[in-house]
Amino acid sequence: MGNVKFHHVYKYYKGEPIPSVNDFHLDVADGEFLVLVGPSGCGKSTTLRMLAGLEDVSQGDIYIDGKFTNFVSPKDRDIAMVFQNYALYPNLSVHENMALGLQLRKVAKHDVELRVNRAAKMLEISHLLSKKPNQLSGGQKQRVALGRALVREPKAFLMDEPLSNLDAKLRTQTRTEIIKMHGQLQTTFVYVTHDQTEAMTMGTRIVVMKDGRIQQVAPPQQLYDEPRNLFVAGFIGTPQMNFLQGAVVRQDGVYYFETKRLKLRIPETYSVRFEASGANLRQIVLGLRPEHVACGNDAPEAWADWQAAAIVDMKEPMGSDTFLYTKVGEETLIARTDAHTPIRVGDSILLALQMNKAHFFDLESGVSLSIPGDRA
Amino acid sequence: MGNTATERINTSTEPLPNSKRMASRLWRWRKHASWFQVTLIVFLTAIGLFMLLPIIFLFNNAFKPLNELFLFPPTIWVKEPTMRNFERLFLHSAAGVVPFTRYLFNSVIVVALTLFSVIMASTMAGYVLAKHRFHFKTLIMSLIMLSLMFAPETVSIPRYIMVSGLGMTNTYFAHVLPFIASPVAVFLMKQFIDQVPDALIEAAKLDGAGDMYIFTRIIIPLIAPAVATISIITFQAVYLDMEGSTLYTQKETMKTLAYYVSSLTANLQNSVAGQSIAAACALLMFIPNLIMFLLFQRKMIQTMLHSGVK
Repeated sequence: MGNVKFHHVYKYYKGEPIPSVNDFHLDVADGEFLVLVGPSGCGKSTTLRMLAGLEDVSQGDIYIDGKFTNFVSPKDRDIAMVFQNYALYPNLSVHENMALGLQLRKVAKHDVELRVNRAAKMLEISHLLSKKPNQLSGGQKQRVALGRALVREPKAFLMDEPLSNLDAKLRTQTRTEIIKMHGQLQTTFVYVTHDQTEAMTMGTRIVVMKDGRIQQVAPPQQLYDEPRNLFVAGFIGTPQMNFLQGAVVRQDGVYYFETKRLKLRIPETYSVRFEASGANLRQIVLGLRPEHVACGNDAPEAWADWQAAAIVDMKEPMGSDTFLYTKVGEETLIARTDAHTPIRVGDSILLALQMNKAHFFDLESGVSLSIPGDRA
Repeated sequence: MGNTATERINTSTEPLPNSKRMASRLWRWRKHASWFQVTLIVFLTAIGLFMLLPIIFLFNNAFKPLNELFLFPPTIWVKEPTMRNFERLFLHSAAGVVPFTRYLFNSVIVVALTLFSVIMASTMAGYVLAKHRFHFKTLIMSLIMLSLMFAPETVSIPRYIMVSGLGMTNTYFAHVLPFIASPVAVFLMKQFIDQVPDALIEAAKLDGAGDMYIFTRIIIPLIAPAVATISIITFQAVYLDMEGSTLYTQKETMKTLAYYVSSLTANLQNSVAGQSIAAACALLMFIPNLIMFLLFQRKMIQTMLHSGVK
């Protein structure tokens, strides 16, 4: 019912040589929670605004519900949008704010009442209906904005960084509510954010964008486990994935990853792939998530050839666990360890780099060398 | 030293508990303010009072008998207030060809028509210039800005040619039309509407609102302060304008109050008797201005803050 299709969509702005949205090609299934994520200026908001009809499409087609929608005016697209700054009409009460869209569509009065009250109840804002937006807190305003979208019962909900103006606690709370709302409605959601935590927790599928281009489209876990390139690997996950630059060396049929100070054996599973992809012993980037860097003392024997000496530079206790920022030569490696670790800043420790969990990327193109070709 | 000063203030105002409290409050405030602030406030108060002089003078003048009006040196305060001036104003006019009330009526009509049309034109133009994308927008905006730079006198001949060419001499339109194209109003409106977040308009578009709906229901309520400002500016300009009466109208019945007041004193044959009438009339002229300003001053300050015009 509410499927959306982008067919090679481009957006050019006047006087800018590079398109803001470059060949955006994607199918969004009905009922999907799609999250567009990327750094600011990556074209994610522009894509959403094109879908809403607030920006013209320069090239390519957009289909909503199977219908060609490029030239349909925003009000006829049957979509609702939630904005970052809430965009509530300041001179209207909460009730009027929520009802306006229905009144303009000539929905019968009793039906308007019914829908507004139902949405207000769902979002727990029934007691605010008679208030004006300037009497509300940020969180309440955003609920009203959600309510305004909700009453419309649209084919798709578009959300443009709706949580960015809220404080941390409210953000988490509202996030859960939006997820619940999606669960109840089973409508298509397209959600734009620059916050990868939001993307990971909310999306059923995530689109990572950079410079107007799609970098990867995948469900959250797959995005985390199998980033397609350096950018995605670095963007998803906090703290960031560790990156080490080095060379692939072959000795006696075994591949090694070699930097100035380290020489780590590469597991066979990767070797096979290297040979297949023809990686000819060039410079590559090794990527390793903090949870795959163990403090050597509690590492199993099997990881013996993956060890590196390091000095603890900084300690970041998170409560549930602790991140150690360690120096291996001039490179910084972040390791995740137990919350109650006795290790202190300045200690020399042995790190075990779990090479069987490592990612390898081409230095120049940034493309992953460790994901099987058909998944990449 | 501070203590003795407090004591002195306290003792001197002993019998009045209210003023005592005031004094101690003042003293407490004085502790927080620097000498610079105190001097500044005293200085500004003095300037403020000085600025008030003409208004005090105006009020007093209106009630002065004829002999006091011609006193030399002139006095500010009236000694023997009288209503005679107002009596003469109405009597004189009734005996003349055109009664005072006709001028008043003309002024009311002209001001109302102009206010309405200027607000309509400037808000609409401001909305389109601020929130719509179209060709030559910057060119149009710069033309409007350019027209701000001409002193009105420099274009009075072309304006006369236009008004007479349109056959509008001796009509109300001659008074109204030259004011409708108000670059100041358009500029102010544009600046103010620029501040309205785009998201608000986009949300309305998605809600299914058309341009007219957005303009009347969303933009207009939000820019009420700017409308108030424009109203004051336009009101003063139109209400005090004499160009319409002197240049574009020959018929006495189509002239406005401002012209009438000035003719009272400018008319050489009647200059002595005219003085008293003019004094009364000047007060009557001033009062609507004052009311307009008091009504809208808060909104006006808001506009100045928002539009970055100071």
